[in-house]
Amino acid sequence: PGRQSGSLRAPNPGKQTLLWLVEVVKPFSLLLFLFLVFHFSQRFTTVVPESCVLIILGLVLGGIVLIANKKQLYQLDPGLFFLFLLPTIVGDAGYFMPARFCLYGAKMAGVIDDNVEAGLMEFLLFGALISAVDPVAVLAVFEEVHVNEMLFIIVFGESLLNDAVTVVLYKVYISFVEVGPGNVLTADYFKGVASFLIVSIGGTLVGLIFAVILAFITRFTKKVRIIEPLFVFLLVYLAYLTAELFSLSAILSMTFCGIGCNKYVEANISQKSRTTVKYTMKTLASIAETIIFIFLGISAVDKSKWAWDTGLVSCTLIFIFVFRAMGVVGQTWILNKFRLIPLEKIDQVVMSYGGLRGAVAFALVVLLDGEQVKAKDYFVATTIVVVFFTVMFQGLTIKPLVKWLKVPRSTNRKPTINEEIHERAFDHILAAVEDIAGLSGYHHWRDKWEQFDKNYLSKLLMRKSVYCKSELWEAYQKINIRDAISVIDQGGNILTSARLSLPSMASRTSFPEVTNVTNYLRENGSGVCLDLQVIDTNPGAKVEEETETHHFLAGNLYKPRRRYQSPYSRHFMTLGDQERQDREVFQRNMRNRLESFKSTHYKRHKKDRSQKKARSHHRLSHLRLLLTPRVKPTKSQLKGELSEPEKDEDVGITFVARKAAETPKERPKSVPAALEVCQSPSVAPPSPTCGEKNLPWKEGIGALPPCVSVEATKIIPIDLQQAWNQSISSLESLASPPVPQEPQHPRVSALHRLSVPPRPPVPPPPSRAKFQFPAWKDEEEEGTLSQQHREMQPLMPSLRPPPPPPPPSSAQSSGKRRNPCVYLRSLVTTPPSGSMPHSRGPTQL
Amino acid sequence: MGNKQTIFTAQQLDAYQVSQEKLLFHRYRDLAPQLVPLDYTNQPDVRLPYELIGSMPELKDNPFRQRIAEVFSEDGEGNMTLDDFLDMFSVLSEMAPRDLKAYYAFKIYDFNNDDFICKSDLEKTLNKLTRNELTEDEVRMVCEKVMDEADLDNDGRLSLEDFQHMIVRAPDFLSTFHIRI
Repeated sequence: PGRQSGSLRAPNPGKQTLLWLVEVVKPFSLLLFLFLVFHFSQRFTTVVPESCVLIILGLVLGGIVLIANKKQLYQLDPGLFFLFLLPTIVGDAGYFMPARFCLYGAKMAGVIDDNVEAGLMEFLLFGALISAVDPVAVLAVFEEVHVNEMLFIIVFGESLLNDAVTVVLYKVYISFVEVGPGNVLTADYFKGVASFLIVSIGGTLVGLIFAVILAFITRFTKKVRIIEPLFVFLLVYLAYLTAELFSLSAILSMTFCGIGCNKYVEANISQKSRTTVKYTMKTLASIAETIIFIFLGISAVDKSKWAWDTGLVSCTLIFIFVFRAMGVVGQTWILNKFRLIPLEKIDQVVMSYGGLRGAVAFALVVLLDGEQVKAKDYFVATTIVVVFFTVMFQGLTIKPLVKWLKVPRSTNRKPTINEEIHERAFDHILAAVEDIAGLSGYHHWRDKWEQFDKNYLSKLLMRKSVYCKSELWEAYQKINIRDAISVIDQGGNILTSARLSLPSMASRTSFPEVTNVTNYLRENGSGVCLDLQVIDTNPGAKVEEETETHHFLAGNLYKPRRRYQSPYSRHFMTLGDQERQDREVFQRNMRNRLESFKSTHYKRHKKDRSQKKARSHHRLSHLRLLLTPRVKPTKSQLKGELSEPEKDEDVGITFVARKAAETPKERPKSVPAALEVCQSPSVAPPSPTCGEKNLPWKEGIGALPPCVSVEATKIIPIDLQQAWNQSISSLESLASPPVPQEPQHPRVSALHRLSVPPRPPVPPPPSRAKFQFPAWKDEEEEGTLSQQHREMQPLMPSLRPPPPPPPPSSAQSSGKRRNPCVYLRSLVTTPPSGSMPHSRGPTQL
Repeated sequence: MGNKQTIFTAQQLDAYQVSQEKLLFHRYRDLAPQLVPLDYTNQPDVRLPYELIGSMPELKDNPFRQRIAEVFSEDGEGNMTLDDFLDMFSVLSEMAPRDLKAYYAFKIYDFNNDDFICKSDLEKTLNKLTRNELTEDEVRMVCEKVMDEADLDNDGRLSLEDFQHMIVRAPDFLSTFHIRI
């Protein structure tokens, strides 16, 4: 498929190219096969850098071809290279470049053009092209040995822009050479510099303009998803061509177009298009690079293509080293003046050593015009040697070198809890002091930009409903809800609400003896684990606990600054940050929903109780306090019920979640308590019989809150529907015993049938509402969260009122009706904390 | 790490410091132009009240603003003199030795000024860091973990030695704990 897309993308640049494409098909099949094998054998690439393998491959292939044909069949065509190969490589890099790297990249861009050799124009030219560093191999090594983040970012940034800058320089020099060294005046040098600036800045601008256009276009492609990838490719390519048209730097234009549009396009286009774009780009870039390397191998075998000159080769090698080192040292010296954390000597060494020359350099040198540059053959030879040497020797040795030099690695171990907390605290302290000093802090400009981006750019360039979920996502969500429902329906007797709340941290800690949730669930006969975070492994209790701590610390510590670590490989995908965030948000939300299931359920019971029970009870009064926003005697109970789901969404589920977190405390103790209180005269539950006491949980579960049911019936499987309705109806009958409110029922439900969603009767307590969207979340996450809510909204208007409660005549439903009370009493009447050492006070709210 | 020595000649150092002090002084004065005189030759006794610092809009969200001001101010109530102000930056400058930084970090954590980080201090820190969004149990659990990890002499609280030891163990811990003016 890769080959096809490669050749399909070539419209008709000329007969030669077409011919070439046809010719190349045969070795291509071989190549693709090898390529596949090589990609399969990941283990192999961990030892040898990718480019190494490709070159060897090229050598072998070249040898075969040479033996077969006695002459070189395939040669690199400038048009082909500049029109197709280069764009794909650069486009890939640009598109995958995480935005933050721009700055570093820009800073480091200059590193590469340092080993320009003095002397003839040709040598300048050669210097320019030989300085095209190919850091892919280095990056792979870096990623493998986990060097520290800084070094990684810098080398990465360099890698992204050096291709572009090299090409620009190359073109400038070529124009010099065309004029002829004798005719170049001093003014021309300045012109050269100026044109370099103009060319690169202009190219960048063109790229950005196209990025805006592209983002704007994708905003309106909702109906025709299929053309989205096409637009992306076409416009990025158009950016390239346009810049080329104005003889600006096409590469830079393309890079920046990719960088610029990435965020908005990713948000606008559908998941599928996104995947398509990603993979196509990866494929194309891989292919382009492979082709170049293969060419390299082929021409290395073909003697007619190059001429050997020992002096030139050795000098070049030495100079490359020296100038690279000088460039790096010089630049880091300048950089260190501005940097908070100076780059260490070791980093500089590694950066100097990491100057592998790659495909671009070779391609450029081959493209030289032999007529104008007499020494072309020498240059080719030298380039080949340099590429070989750097890729083979340095590429193979850089890993041991990094290890030997003990380059500060990024620590693989998890930070201890101490470190996690203290680092965060230090960040805050620093931020505070910086603010006091009125410094525009480290990320000041970035924040400014984000502000601007949020306020204007995003509004202009992103679709309104940009946060619409992918289908996969929705399906996932549905399955989750269904699982939850079936758990409650079937395994409900075991999975009592207390255990449903397992995902919450508090419940975990409150069961100190139960350290492994999964096991706990399993022992109790339920196969469904509701905690999406829980992994099935069974580590020691301590480890488990620590992981848990880390987990919720990570979720709760709020961040003054953000950190990105984005691994990049030219050939492999990594999971996007956004996706990870989405998942996290979703999990949280899901968890909250699950908890709200049962806590509404609690509430309802408590509500009943609290209306009937003596106020004097200490515990109860506390509960009433908790529930004040909900328990308003004046409200029609039914109405309260109907609007409950909405309230849940509006108020912020965590209100309940927190409440839920408390319940497990009471759980273990509640059974004896319930029995005890049963006899007490002050509590007069509606006739709990002894038989019912035996199965308190089982029956209690039947009383599901309507808020769950209404929403859930939409996705509940047909076969469960009946049982579901039954449980609802029993619940309804349960829920509406207070007689005086009965008359209101028809009116309200009618009102509701008109799909006028009743406003939540009680305004949510502001503090709780705030809790739902904690301010510490970064805006992106917040956006997704709120979007999650928005996404739930559509369910609301379409709410059908639950089937009208049938008269609670059937024995089954009457049984259900009373039992929950037992259940509930057991919860409500937990004796005041004084009598029980473990029971927790109400202070947490 | 801390072994990177910056070498200045005495003159350079002087010049450097003077220029920085000037900068900081202007910054200090900007905070309250009506309070701070331009002429500091007579060492006037001027303090910026904490309210002034604490009400800076940039600091509104910072959980440690009060604590920082308290620790670095001489009177312990967040009212800062110019000297305090300069001290604060010298502690956080690159050249400050690591122990000094650790000491001040320790002091910032030590809310009740008893020279130990005890559980209540930790809980306070944690609540500030999470904006009170953890339940008591969670906070308690984290605090226990922290104590477990760092408390070497098992006295249930962290002494300065414990704290330093913990910081030395983490390689890039204090390396980021400085600002540049």
